[in-house]
Amino acid sequence: MSDSDERPWRQDNLGVFGELPGDLMMWVLIASELLVFGAALIAFLAVRATDPAGFSADQAMLDRTAGALNTAVLVTSGLCAGLAVVHREREERSMARRWLFAAGFLGIVFLVVKSFEYAQKAELGIGVETSAFFTFYYLTTGFHALHVVAGIVILGVVAWADSVRNMEAAVAFWHMVDLIWVLLFPIIYLLR
Amino acid sequence: MTARGLIEAWAALVALSMGTAALTMLDVSGSTRTVIAAGVLALAGLKSRVILARYLRLNQSRFWTRLFDVVLAIFLGIAFAAYLLGIQE
Repeated sequence: MSDSDERPWRQDNLGVFGELPGDLMMWVLIASELLVFGAALIAFLAVRATDPAGFSADQAMLDRTAGALNTAVLVTSGLCAGLAVVHREREERSMARRWLFAAGFLGIVFLVVKSFEYAQKAELGIGVETSAFFTFYYLTTGFHALHVVAGIVILGVVAWADSVRNMEAAVAFWHMVDLIWVLLFPIIYLLR
Repeated sequence: MTARGLIEAWAALVALSMGTAALTMLDVSGSTRTVIAAGVLALAGLKSRVILARYLRLNQSRFWTRLFDVVLAIFLGIAFAAYLLGIQE
């Protein structure tokens, strides 16, 4: 079966939507998620404008090194996930699974680093209701971490149900999680 | 996307992340603070573009690449404007 035969969802009559790589519905999800996180980050910056000194003091308590480490972990995980698709398209299913597991493992590393960050805050008595800054911090990073958990589960599922279509869709979801982080991290952690 | 293309994209992302780290280590007092913030947001935009174009293979379509570029630029522009409101207080 040729590559194009395996992808009946790519229809020429979709017009400009047919130009999107992979599954159209995955792009609808990616656009939706970007809008949700984008709105949350703009809201964060708008509320910050009402109390810049308070936000700056709270932001100084964040662990930037952990955030930077997690950026490296996620972009490397994205590379592993992308390589999984490359190998699957070459019919190298075993190698594809290995790269998927590597991507999922790095996702777990991301969650471990994040849980250390949360634990440090908890030790200091910092919670969701401590301040407006930490409400945004926990809601945005927590919601993102839930996406990481979902992504790890999805990568595990497509390691088993490993059609090219499934793997492309799962990996696109994983890249979306990566994309959200590279926008969230600088705005929440770095803008002073 | 080839394995080499993915590795190049990953290297670009690591380099841009290192650039972000270097920027945030600079002294943030005075007017440089605004310039650094603009730089941090610009690098975030470039990283997003690499992920969209290379990891998500959006570079296969000129139309969608341009559309996401425009949306990303609008988002980062609004974010920077909101940031500026915060430092004028």
